[in-house]
Amino acid sequence: MEQPKLSVILLSGELEKLQAGCLVSSVASMSGMEVNVFVTMEALKAFRKDVISAREFKTAGEVGREMLNKNVDLFYQLLENAKDMGNLKVYGCAMAMDLMEWKKEDLIDIFDDVIGVTAFLGKAAGSQVIVM
Amino acid sequence: MSEVNITKTIDARGSYCPGPLMELVKAIKRGQIGDVYELLSSDNGSAKDVPEWVNKMGHELVYCREDGDFWRIAVKKTK
Repeated sequence: MEQPKLSVILLSGELEKLQAGCLVSSVASMSGMEVNVFVTMEALKAFRKDVISAREFKTAGEVGREMLNKNVDLFYQLLENAKDMGNLKVYGCAMAMDLMEWKKEDLIDIFDDVIGVTAFLGKAAGSQVIVM
Repeated sequence: MSEVNITKTIDARGSYCPGPLMELVKAIKRGQIGDVYELLSSDNGSAKDVPEWVNKMGHELVYCREDGDFWRIAVKKTK
């Protein structure tokens, strides 16, 4: 049987949405699904090394703020763990990288590749899709 | 209840969803068939989510019970 597939598109830079998208991704990969995560727009900024080391995340409200206060594994840590345990890949958006003049080295070491929409659509074909 | 031989207890108390599940999955992935892992979790979601995961992945839930302010969930690796 073919492995069920999930595609997650992260757009928002809000911690709550990043966390929800990465949580679903990690549980899906632990449950035997093939997961492809595409990170673009403001979400990509949250994966920059400087943003993560300063914990400069936008929050939508009190749930997000509490996540930062308590000892919660944050979105990028969930993906790191999921990569160790299952079939999960993370892709950065080439358009956003070009537009912002960011390099792959500016991002944490979690990205399998920087690709465009056409390439991602190929990976996402036939999968469930979640957009955050 | 019959005696269960616990291979290892994983204390994930204080960790939030999906942390406890992740710890269990790690242990099961590394373990041998027949191993029984007991997960301690203070996250109430674990009591629902872990049995669901065990069922989906085809392992065996040995028990899932409340022990004061946390849960004890034992899982046998079957494959």
